[in-house]
Amino acid sequence: MANSIEEIQKAKKTYLLVFLALLVGTVLTVLVATVPALDIGGHGFDGPDAILGLLIATTKSTLVAAIFMHLNHEKKLIYWVFFGAIFFFFAMGALFALAESSPIWDFNFYK
Amino acid sequence: MEIPYIVNARKDTGLINSKIAIWLFLASEVMLFGGFFSAYVYLRLGADYPWPERTLPVLPGLINTFILIGSSVTVVFAWVALKLGNWRQFQIYMSITVACAAIFMVLKGLEYRVKFNHQAGRFNDHTVVEGHTAYEKDANGEYVLDRHGKKIEQNMIRVVAEKVTFSVKRFHAPWINEMLSEAKHNKSEIKLAADIKAITTEGGKEETLAKAGEPLSLELLEKIKQVQLDAQEHNSALRTDALRDEWKEAKSANPGKKGWQLASDVNIDMEVLKPRLLTEISNVEFAVSPPTRFLFKPRDIKEGATSSRLRDDTVITGAMEASPMVLHNLDAIDFQWLVMKAKEKGIAPEAAIANSWLMKNNEFVREAWAWHLARNEKKQAVLNERFGFQEDGKTPKQTLTHKELYRLGWKDLGDMGVETKGVKIGGVDKIKEEFMGPNYLARGEKTFPHLSIPREEIRHAAKFTPAWNTYYAIYFTITGLHGLHVIGGALVLLYYLVFGRKMFLSNPEWFSNRVEVGGLFWHFVDLVWIFAFPIFYLM
Repeated sequence: MANSIEEIQKAKKTYLLVFLALLVGTVLTVLVATVPALDIGGHGFDGPDAILGLLIATTKSTLVAAIFMHLNHEKKLIYWVFFGAIFFFFAMGALFALAESSPIWDFNFYK
Repeated sequence: MEIPYIVNARKDTGLINSKIAIWLFLASEVMLFGGFFSAYVYLRLGADYPWPERTLPVLPGLINTFILIGSSVTVVFAWVALKLGNWRQFQIYMSITVACAAIFMVLKGLEYRVKFNHQAGRFNDHTVVEGHTAYEKDANGEYVLDRHGKKIEQNMIRVVAEKVTFSVKRFHAPWINEMLSEAKHNKSEIKLAADIKAITTEGGKEETLAKAGEPLSLELLEKIKQVQLDAQEHNSALRTDALRDEWKEAKSANPGKKGWQLASDVNIDMEVLKPRLLTEISNVEFAVSPPTRFLFKPRDIKEGATSSRLRDDTVITGAMEASPMVLHNLDAIDFQWLVMKAKEKGIAPEAAIANSWLMKNNEFVREAWAWHLARNEKKQAVLNERFGFQEDGKTPKQTLTHKELYRLGWKDLGDMGVETKGVKIGGVDKIKEEFMGPNYLARGEKTFPHLSIPREEIRHAAKFTPAWNTYYAIYFTITGLHGLHVIGGALVLLYYLVFGRKMFLSNPEWFSNRVEVGGLFWHFVDLVWIFAFPIFYLM
């Protein structure tokens, strides 16, 4: 984290650059979703569009977390807490996905 | 008491305590919102209806995204200003942040307001229409007012009640007051249809609790409810005791057997218990004389031709009058669900649409659909030109989406109005539409006509609220929860702005640490919106 005055002044420039990047990312998300010429994959909303949209959103949120929330130079404990939560979120998601694909939902399985 | 480690970091963690606390809180928030976003994914993947894709107005969502991103920068600049010891700059940046939060909430409020006032209806054949409900007018074109002086929405269920049977345990007091008031207004009376008799003490004689002809009142129903609850409690205790005795007997008679082996033989002899039971009164019937008309909101009643049931299990016996749902302005015609159902049954979409009630009974819809088909042909031609055909030279590589093929939204109807009826609107009205949805006043009934739908043709109707479908349920859950976070975060930041000066002067390091913690929460609010915006508005 920036502590000296010089470092803080330098960080301000970084914050402005991130702000611009976030604006560009947002406009890009809208454009790929609304302008047919920029539509990737097939015509209309489909898997590739969802992946691209979420990819841009993830990039934007990484910038916010890394620069604005100072996660790019935090203490170890913060990483454990925050990324631990994200890990558990995905772990839970994986468990749900496994449950969804379980044969128990297939009514013909036991016939 | 002095709070430890709020200015200087702990040696073991290298962090101030409040920072660890906010990150633990944010970790729990990740799980909370993560859970809701997961719910969104599963609701969408498992939806048994056409998911409303890209259905929200993009412009206000986009502006709100810019606002939140901007506020994320200003809050971090406010913190920087504190680090540099500049209170004035802190005030400016923090004021902008709080103002951004306010603008965000105003835009969100507008979006919600539009949804709460927008009506949708699904026919029995799964055609969906959307629009704005009308209010009753008299022969002179004046609005008809009810006895409270309010306009009557033409989406009410009208039942001429002859009898009303209340569920003793579930009756809803405000509805009873409304019925009493309506009956009084119509010079009608609601009276007990028959004597209410009950045994209220064990071994006692049957006594009359209320006599036939006694007028309906909440006090009377409360009295009967209490008798019912007491009787239920008493009878339940008797049955439990009897069952316990039976089990004891069965176990002592069969010491080696397990409970599950004895279960089928353990029964209570109700004939023995009968003389000791109290009378349970589950329903009470009242006669309405002369029969009078009651109006109910569709969400409160499951209507029938001769008998209807309210949500509190009250049964209204009497004929339902014509209770059409009238859209003052129809602004969307959607055959997506009908086609989905038709395909499941192996029926051709075109045939299913042609046979729908709406196509058979409405000239405007037929005209609009013909225009839509012609325009879709042109759109398909553009796709063919861009993507070409499969190897057979006939099958297009890309086709129009299900939504493009089978839904005419308000923007499509607007285009049709411009093309076929010369209805054009100004730039300001167009911008207004981007925020508030279809502009009925500017475009008029040529574009958004009247539509009256007989009640018996409607399977489900609701405003665009969680009652309409799971999409709106999860949309309001996530955005509503996010909105609460915006309000909560803004209040904390406003507190720093208004009351922070004293601490800034006495202990600037502590104050900047506080602002940093508040700022971290604010960034998280921004982070959630970064995902919510594309997911709800663009996908």
